[in-house]
Amino acid sequence: MDAPAVSMRGVTKRFPGVVANDSVDFEAAPGEVHALLGENGAGKTTLSHILTGLYRPDEGQIALYGEPVEFNSPREAIDAGVGMVHQHFRLVSRFTVAENLVLGDRRGAGRNFRIDPGAIATQVRELGERYSLAVDPRARIWQLSVGEQQRVEILKALYQEARILILDEPTAVLTPDEADTLFVTVRKMAEEGRTVIFISHKLHEVMAVSDRVTVLRAGKALATVRTADATPESLAELMVGREIVVVTREGHVNPESAPVLEVEDLWADGDRGTVAVKGVSLTLRSGEIAAVAGVAGNGQRELAEAIAGLRPCAKGVVRVKGKAVHNGDARAAFQAGIGYVPEDRLGTGLSPTLSIAMNLSLKSFRRESLGPFLRLHAMRDKAADAIRTFGIKASGPEQETDELSGGNLQKVVISREFSAHPNVLIAASPTRGLDVAAVEQVHSYLLDAAEEGAGVLLISEDLDEILALNDRVLVMYEGTLTEADDRSSVAEIGLRMAGETPS
Amino acid sequence: MNNSLLIVLIASGVAYGTPLLYAALGELLAERSGVLNLGVEGMMLVGAVMGFWTVQRLHTNTGVALAAAILVAGLMGALMASIHAFLVITLRASQIVSGLALTIFAGAVGLSSYLGNDLNLADSPAAHTFNAVFPKSMQGWPIIGPIVFGQNVLVYISWGCVVGIWLYLSRTRPGLNVRAVGESPAAADTMGINVTRYRYTHTLVGGAFAGVAGASITLAITPQWVDGITGGAGWIAIALVIFAFWRPELCLVGAYFFGALQALAPQLQARDINLGPTVLWTNALPYVMTIVVLVIVSSGTARSRLGAPAALGNAYIREER
Amino acid sequence: MRVTFERRLSQPWWLTVVVPVCSLVAAFVIAGVVLLATGIDPLTTYRQLFDAGFIQTGSLSQTLISATPLAFTGLAAAAAFRMKLYNIGAEGQMYMGAIFGSAAGLYLGSRSSSSAFVIAAMVVAGIVGGAAWASIPGVLRAFFRTNEILTSLLLNYVAGLILTYLIFESESYWRQTKGFNASVFPVGKQLPKVAQWPTWTIDMQGGIVIPLGAFIAVIVAVILWALYSRTRFGFEARVLGDSDRAARYSGVRVRRKILAVMALSGGIAGIGGASQVGDFAHALDGDPNGLQKLSYGYSGIVVAALARYNPFATLLVALLIGGLKNAGNTLEGPNFPAGLVGVLQGIILFCALGGELLVRYRARVHRHGAAPEDVAAAPAPKAAS
Repeated sequence: MDAPAVSMRGVTKRFPGVVANDSVDFEAAPGEVHALLGENGAGKTTLSHILTGLYRPDEGQIALYGEPVEFNSPREAIDAGVGMVHQHFRLVSRFTVAENLVLGDRRGAGRNFRIDPGAIATQVRELGERYSLAVDPRARIWQLSVGEQQRVEILKALYQEARILILDEPTAVLTPDEADTLFVTVRKMAEEGRTVIFISHKLHEVMAVSDRVTVLRAGKALATVRTADATPESLAELMVGREIVVVTREGHVNPESAPVLEVEDLWADGDRGTVAVKGVSLTLRSGEIAAVAGVAGNGQRELAEAIAGLRPCAKGVVRVKGKAVHNGDARAAFQAGIGYVPEDRLGTGLSPTLSIAMNLSLKSFRRESLGPFLRLHAMRDKAADAIRTFGIKASGPEQETDELSGGNLQKVVISREFSAHPNVLIAASPTRGLDVAAVEQVHSYLLDAAEEGAGVLLISEDLDEILALNDRVLVMYEGTLTEADDRSSVAEIGLRMAGETPS
Repeated sequence: MNNSLLIVLIASGVAYGTPLLYAALGELLAERSGVLNLGVEGMMLVGAVMGFWTVQRLHTNTGVALAAAILVAGLMGALMASIHAFLVITLRASQIVSGLALTIFAGAVGLSSYLGNDLNLADSPAAHTFNAVFPKSMQGWPIIGPIVFGQNVLVYISWGCVVGIWLYLSRTRPGLNVRAVGESPAAADTMGINVTRYRYTHTLVGGAFAGVAGASITLAITPQWVDGITGGAGWIAIALVIFAFWRPELCLVGAYFFGALQALAPQLQARDINLGPTVLWTNALPYVMTIVVLVIVSSGTARSRLGAPAALGNAYIREER
Repeated sequence: MRVTFERRLSQPWWLTVVVPVCSLVAAFVIAGVVLLATGIDPLTTYRQLFDAGFIQTGSLSQTLISATPLAFTGLAAAAAFRMKLYNIGAEGQMYMGAIFGSAAGLYLGSRSSSSAFVIAAMVVAGIVGGAAWASIPGVLRAFFRTNEILTSLLLNYVAGLILTYLIFESESYWRQTKGFNASVFPVGKQLPKVAQWPTWTIDMQGGIVIPLGAFIAVIVAVILWALYSRTRFGFEARVLGDSDRAARYSGVRVRRKILAVMALSGGIAGIGGASQVGDFAHALDGDPNGLQKLSYGYSGIVVAALARYNPFATLLVALLIGGLKNAGNTLEGPNFPAGLVGVLQGIILFCALGGELLVRYRARVHRHGAAPEDVAAAPAPKAAS
């Protein structure tokens, strides 16, 4: 029998405070699409980083095609034929596609001291055609859409002649149609004898594209099964260890209830001076959850920031309960009752080196102070309460927030926004990177907020989440917002995400 | 016409601007790899004093003495830079504070002063200096005479450096790699580029350039050693890199412009022209102009497209959760 | 064998004291090596330094003369650097504080007989001068996004030129134009008695003279501490220093805050300038080899960094570095070239920076290889075919 393409035995990796991989055994055959399934935090990305030479394992052996290997750097992994498409792209934004591909390369046209842009461009075009990954070699990365950038990441691995390809959560940034095209590409690569390791936490994808599945949970490899023999339920149980609570929203909202948020013809610019939000209008009623679907980079973040006052609007008005909110004024926005759970938890939503207590009062400290002086005792007590009520795992109210795990960070943010009893709650990718238990908690808070009468605007790239939690589905594409006629139709939402309107 | 104010200013601008150019080119290399080195002033001063010392102590013919002096100055500059490099690359200290520490350590009341006074260098003028290379007849040609042919060999080498660095960054593989390291060290690391090695080499080479820049002052422009002889040139060089948008060819233009500003005060005095209400104006002009240009350059949206290497000033840590 | 650094999960409080102290010790060790290399005995030198700085008769008084301005520039740096606003302009802001303070002293001193009033006015004038000068880089940073490091620094040179101009190159209000000495060498006008700041003498070591400025520095340290840890202003400033996106999110008016902190920092440095005139020189010192050579502004940064931007530690460190500077001045001669003090300060700062790493990170030593014996030792990775 042929040696497996990849063989990892007893691999362990520890970080301060956590064991990311615990004596993991993993094997993948040549020409196979092997899925690595697990919830967020299970250790999938860490394992792949070990295979690509970015991390060094504390224990364990790795062998490629029967030969033991030990990678001291990413260079050695690349030379050994391991390529990775990361979840957060490792591309140089200012460079062209061609420059990114050639970076660090030591073979072919890359071996030269001098760079020949023409030769590289030709090669890129050829590769693009062969694998249906067309992209302009002379385009600069920042000019490309997220889906196109991912194509560049894949091309990079192929250009380096990777025999083992690792794709880390690749469909997170794709429309349903683009995802299907990706699966075709993956199949093609496997047919050529390459090994594709497909990392995901989405069951239906794993079922659709893989030959075998290895399930990771809490750092341990639980089982490896043939996909043909598995069902979504059996995989789910392995993945989480218990039944997942599936939330479904009935979607009844009283059209008579008062609107809490009115956005009229909002236009806002993006960071690079281009227009990111183009004439968006929406009305959100009390107790309603409106879910905004769309691939990242279509203006959702800018829209959220504009409503929350973090970004000035070039044109348009935002009204909360009928009263207009001062443009581009974050303080006015949250004083008007707009709560915002940003995508960027630690950088925007929290002040990293300040304590939990201070972060919980990040917006309310002005109201809570005595003249110019802070009431530190009151802040601390409030924090101790919140830690208890929301089950935040921390050593105390004085702990620095950047020492907390992802799930706990989000709890701090949500507990703060939620406790302020907002009129409008904007949540952007609130469950990204969280494990199943944390996801369930966040979802229940969102539902509670709606129950209390807030209008919830849920912005997410996770279609499952959108479908589960919405009363209405809105879709953002290139700065414009449309509403889905059928809130449960994946096909229609997918079309709108790609910019098409259904007939 | 070769004695007209304009021609003299341009010719002096080239001469005075050469130290600025060397220092700016060095800093440009370091910053392109993502390392901000604010210790330029200190490195220049150390290069100045050690280059001067070499010339005073080495008793051989002019050519060898000057070449040795440049070599020593460059080595000393690189040595100074290595302290900063170790602190910020390996120990991940704050690049800003470390650069300032280097300036205090090596600067006008630090190491350069210590060495200069300890070695009694203030006593005599330089034994050998860099003089014009081309014959007097060529220097007399209209316009290009004084400007192009009236310069010393350091100036001509600096032109070569500008071209060399331009080619390096835009047309070679290591140049592409270092640009990647400065823009996105994570991407570069993933592609197998040794981020640490690139940052070290470029920071050290940057220091060497700064050392040479300092020596070019004590050996070409003011052929003697005085404590603090650079007078803020190191800071202007750092600013220069910013308004050159990190491009070597624009460094050349900027350096000569500021060189001309520095030459302005003495020239106007010699001709009895009064530019502003007082002599204060002309002395302060180089510094004020630097600030003005910085403001113009920083406030435009041009900054985000044409500007700094994205990872400038940040330490790169690979194995962090 | 490899050494890697990993974030500490929590920072024991004693680390924030032990590490700076160890950095100081390490600095003296390294400097000792440098001294040995140049043929000077480090131990004797250190004993001489310590003696001249703190022990000899009159040394503490001399040390306070250096420590007082350092306290102000150190506090100025601490106020700004803590917020990631790198105000390198304390030097120039101090000069402007001296100019304004001296003007107030000269003008009011000849019209009022109340010492308290005149001195208070001088302090205020110093604050105004320093704050105004710091507002230039402040405005440029807040409203034009221009890097404050370069602008504040370049303005130091401009301020120095102005200072020299007022005394050496013009017949300004500040210049002493009458009297024999004045025609020989330019000097500033003497402050009238009423404008000269009082001192207190402790009966120790032959009489330690404590200038008013030292007390003011302590008061400023207390105010700064309270401001940053107990007030809304400080809260907003800390958030801004931590993450400017989080600051915007929390409703901080970022531009105003930047301007306010720069002005605060400059104002503190300005008091230092007023103190120079009121406490010590009793006239405006425009000599390029006088105040401008003492580089109190830059040394203030060393003080603040070593004190880890804590206001009270800043006072202590200012005393220490002041002693160093004083000793350096006293001992200057063939065995003690000028510049040694700068070298020492630089090394201290380097060690403080290196030590900073240990506060946040822990070093871990990895044994090579992770595998048990049945895998070939240190195998070479298979090269691509």
